[in-house]
Amino acid sequence: MTIRATSVDVSIGKAQLLTDVSLDVIPGEVLALVGPNGAGKSTFLSALAGDLAPNEGQVFYDQRDISQLSIQERSFYRSVMSQSQPMVFDFSVRDIVEMGWLHRDHSFYNEYFSVAAQQIIEQCSITSLVDRRFNTLSGGEQKRVHFARALLQLWLPQGSNESRYLLLDEPLANLDIAHELNMLNVIKQTAASGIGVLIVLHDLNLAAKFADKIALFDQGKMVSLGTPKQVLTENSLSTVYGVTVTVAQTPLTISYY
Amino acid sequence: MEKITAHRVFTSRFGSPKQTAIVVLLLVLLAISALIASANGSFSLSFIDLVRGKSTALQSLVMLEIRLPRVVLSALVGASLGLSGAALQGLFRNPLADPGLIGVSAGAALGASIIIVISPAFLVDSFLGPFLLPLAGITGAASVIFLLYLLTTGFGYQGVTYMLLVGIAVNAIAGVAIGVLTYISSDAELRTLTFWTMGSFGGVTWTLLTPALLIIFSAILYMIPACRKLDLIQLGEVEASRLGVDVRKLKYRVIISAAAAVGASVALSGMIGFVGLVVPHLVRLLGGVNHNYLLPGSAVLGAALLVSADLLARLLIQPAELPIGLITSAIGSPFFLWLIFRLKKNDY
Repeated sequence: MTIRATSVDVSIGKAQLLTDVSLDVIPGEVLALVGPNGAGKSTFLSALAGDLAPNEGQVFYDQRDISQLSIQERSFYRSVMSQSQPMVFDFSVRDIVEMGWLHRDHSFYNEYFSVAAQQIIEQCSITSLVDRRFNTLSGGEQKRVHFARALLQLWLPQGSNESRYLLLDEPLANLDIAHELNMLNVIKQTAASGIGVLIVLHDLNLAAKFADKIALFDQGKMVSLGTPKQVLTENSLSTVYGVTVTVAQTPLTISYY
Repeated sequence: MEKITAHRVFTSRFGSPKQTAIVVLLLVLLAISALIASANGSFSLSFIDLVRGKSTALQSLVMLEIRLPRVVLSALVGASLGLSGAALQGLFRNPLADPGLIGVSAGAALGASIIIVISPAFLVDSFLGPFLLPLAGITGAASVIFLLYLLTTGFGYQGVTYMLLVGIAVNAIAGVAIGVLTYISSDAELRTLTFWTMGSFGGVTWTLLTPALLIIFSAILYMIPACRKLDLIQLGEVEASRLGVDVRKLKYRVIISAAAAVGASVALSGMIGFVGLVVPHLVRLLGGVNHNYLLPGSAVLGAALLVSADLLARLLIQPAELPIGLITSAIGSPFFLWLIFRLKKNDY
């Protein structure tokens, strides 16, 4: 029950974007990817999501090579939230959230539709937005709506033991501190319900606070992997980011100047 | 209440209750305009007399062999233009995509013109005859869509204007080719060629109509089930595939059905501009943007609009006829301008 990447290489043209990255996303855990711009975090997330096929290495969802899975089967395993494109037509917020509801085979599944949608809309605190036009929302509000859609895609009634994964590429961009905290708490709850979470983060202090595990990326390679205390050290951060970093241990706090 | 909501997403054909009501109203509008259109013209007829068996032999002949095929054809052409416009706008995520503007209709017209001028007589006289024109139209339409596919790198998002510029070029090329064909054609062929530039529903017979009818109907039936996927692709191609949509299959589905519907329509009625542009926008303004409502709504409104426009074309300057394309362009081109200004304001 994992998403497993084994020695993944990705290159586009002559640019080697990822070199020999092996990593597991485990149900119930929040795994944060950190690293400087251009370190390959988003590329790795795309490879895990199946958006691009690695040049070398493989990605497995529960021991099944994703190149053998259909596009629809993949959608049952994982949902992805990343930079979104502008909507051309005037959909309502509710329409966008409901786009996350999949065509699953369970006959009973559709009975839960409105219960699930309502539950997730409340959890993401977008109740006041649902009847608005999506294009009138601010950037941060649009993020929260797409987040709700990604959660709805993974929704199954309690007691379902199918493994599912949530892949998030900088979900906190444009959010104010209250909604940032809310989203991180929802991510924590989601992980606690047995979903594996991979999150690309820029804020090292948030990563230290919320992640169970952290993978530090630099120049297309994974430099280290472990608990926040193991990975976020003054030495490795100073080397990777090229600035002076100090780390206070309790609570784990990173400062840089 | 809860059941209704789930119903809306998956089982309801025409969207929310309000949207279903709009589609039903449009259907009523279509029925009324079809009744009026079959009863009126340079030769007045009464449906009631026909049903009660009170009409003369000439009256029923005009009704069954001239008026009815004409009304059926205008409705079908309107439906396929409206539906294709809606689906292409959805697929390209481009509010200005219209079979006419992006050159698909011109491609179909060119295909049909080529067949008229240079096809050998034995083909026309064979059992394939009635299928020849629609097939040529479809081939022309499909080649243009394929060209667009290549030029926009797989319909990747290249901006709204790019595809229109390609359309201008394609329209010009097709115009040149049709122009060349007019020089090598005979007098009789020339007359049939000129009607393509403006479109007409006149002179259609059941023999010509039936194959096109089959093609257009199957295209519509093939297109409409793609509605949910067309909604999802509004999020972007990558996002749609993350939600389980096989984007490549969806593209083939929409392209094949749009090419078939537009190709067969243009082959029988010539280029009728702006229907595919205006109708989907009107339907969106009426009730919403989700495709399970938009696709059937656009088909029905397109049909109603062209049936009425054809009625106008027949009535305005009796006993002569206005080209139908003149009427749709007169309505459509100001609308197009308005749309451009609106888009500019919204900063697309």
